[in-house]
Amino acid sequence: MRGLRKTYRRLFRKVGNEALRGMDLSVPEGSAFGLIGPNGAGKTTFIKSILGIVQPTEGTVRVLGGSPEDPRIRARIGYLPERLHLPGSWTATAFLATVTRLKGLKADAPGNRRLLERVGLADAAGRKIGGYSKGMRQRLGLAAALVGSPSLLVLDEPTDGIDPMGRLEVRRILLEEVQRGTTLFLNSHLLAETERVCDRVAILADGRVLREGRLEDLARGGARWMVRFAPGADAEALAEEGFARGSADGVYRVEAEDAAALNAALDRARSKGALLVELRRDGTDLESVLLGTVAPAGAAGVAA
Amino acid sequence: MNPVLGIAGYVLREAMSRKFILAFVVGITLVLSVVALSLRIEVVDGALAASRLFGNELRASIRSVDVALRPVYTAAAFIVFYGGILFGIVACSDFAPSLLSPGRIEHLLALPIQRWHLLAGTFLGVMVLAVGGTLYGTTGLVLIFGVKAGYWTAGPLIAGLMACVGFAAVYAVMLTTATLVRSAALCAAAGFVVMVSGIIAGFRQQIAPMFEDGFSRSAFEAVTLILPRLSSLAQAAGNIASSTPLEVNSLGMLLMGVLVFGFGALAVGFWRFEGKDY
Repeated sequence: MRGLRKTYRRLFRKVGNEALRGMDLSVPEGSAFGLIGPNGAGKTTFIKSILGIVQPTEGTVRVLGGSPEDPRIRARIGYLPERLHLPGSWTATAFLATVTRLKGLKADAPGNRRLLERVGLADAAGRKIGGYSKGMRQRLGLAAALVGSPSLLVLDEPTDGIDPMGRLEVRRILLEEVQRGTTLFLNSHLLAETERVCDRVAILADGRVLREGRLEDLARGGARWMVRFAPGADAEALAEEGFARGSADGVYRVEAEDAAALNAALDRARSKGALLVELRRDGTDLESVLLGTVAPAGAAGVAA
Repeated sequence: MNPVLGIAGYVLREAMSRKFILAFVVGITLVLSVVALSLRIEVVDGALAASRLFGNELRASIRSVDVALRPVYTAAAFIVFYGGILFGIVACSDFAPSLLSPGRIEHLLALPIQRWHLLAGTFLGVMVLAVGGTLYGTTGLVLIFGVKAGYWTAGPLIAGLMACVGFAAVYAVMLTTATLVRSAALCAAAGFVVMVSGIIAGFRQQIAPMFEDGFSRSAFEAVTLILPRLSSLAQAAGNIASSTPLEVNSLGMLLMGVLVFGFGALAVGFWRFEGKDY
């Protein structure tokens, strides 16, 4: 999508509410893409734009090589809205059968049964949806999104209301879909969820994409490495060699631009009697990345 | 499958799960059963000799069956017309707002169907429901009197279908209202306003002289000109049901006017829905 803008206009009001302020974003096919950002960032408007539910004020959206307005393109998309409203008097099988028909597919009762089994609703398939818990409705919504094996899955808070064990199952299903080659577009407030499922992330705030890229690149702490030495390491000697003491016992941080510099630093530490037990790149979690991205932008906005 | 039929099926399935619609069908069945079981009609040489309701003789002069049944069919036509439209307004007021409710409309719009399919399917589903209910009731009535009196007429069925045409115009406005505001109460109110306005429009020539000559009368005539003349249609339905001469000048024009109003209202709804964000 390029230059995507959306302004919601109200009757008798000259100034509209700008939900998207010129977004440029490209999601590689087959990737698991996470969308994160604070409330009111424009995430839901953005997702609705992808699906043609909201018509952009400016800009272009291309999905799976076509326009989201094209039913043939939408036939290849599975969507789970944030607050899916399901017909309470229907059974899960009847609902999936209707979704199958409306997707222009042939009736596939065994396929739908398999989908219900996959999301853990096999036992409740014949029950009325009105008696389902929030988590069960969410699972059914996910099953509906999976009808027809879509090429793109757009999921808005898919694990909302699902218990921890259920979340594991949902995560497993999503990872299976990604492995199958499905492009996943995930909007979740649960950053740990996004971190575990997605390989690419975009951070949205105030209707703009502030950062976008591979998760490991966003979370990477530059040239810093976290090192843990066995108890008894000489902290002062290590400090002289550029190892800064960390928060936990035996944990140090060191700056190294490349592998050679890193190994040289480790050799110097060993020469001071320190025994290496753990080494990893010093990254930050998604929460820190989000806060680190959104907070300065907000401050800049205030300053401006 | 055609998406319009798919959405119509969706609406019908929703309707079938509504208890008050099922209760209505049961109610019609009970009324027809009571009439069938409690009414005794004796016909001699094509004339109604005697009739008994719950064992009590109904006093009436000996008349030919078709003449004797005229008031019955006229009353039935008016009940079906006004009662049916009124029930339809109440029973169908929340179909469209429910379909357009948050969380459901996003899901439907993300499916590979065009936006107009959704409205057309909803309209079709509701009309199938209306026609089905009307034909069920009127066919039952025709069958009962046909078997008991030996007088067969398609008049009540045609009158019932004319009531459906009237309801189509009313529901078109309700559906358009739903694209503007997702409120069942407002949809019902819009339907009720059209129904009352349609009754007034049918008597526009009699009512117009009550307004002072000038702007107010012209305004009344202009407004009622575009409204569906439901009371005239009901009168025509009554005439057809009882096989009496039509009191309206041109039934074709009357039906055309009601249909044009309905399609006009629907066109506004389709246009509004196409450009609306959810």
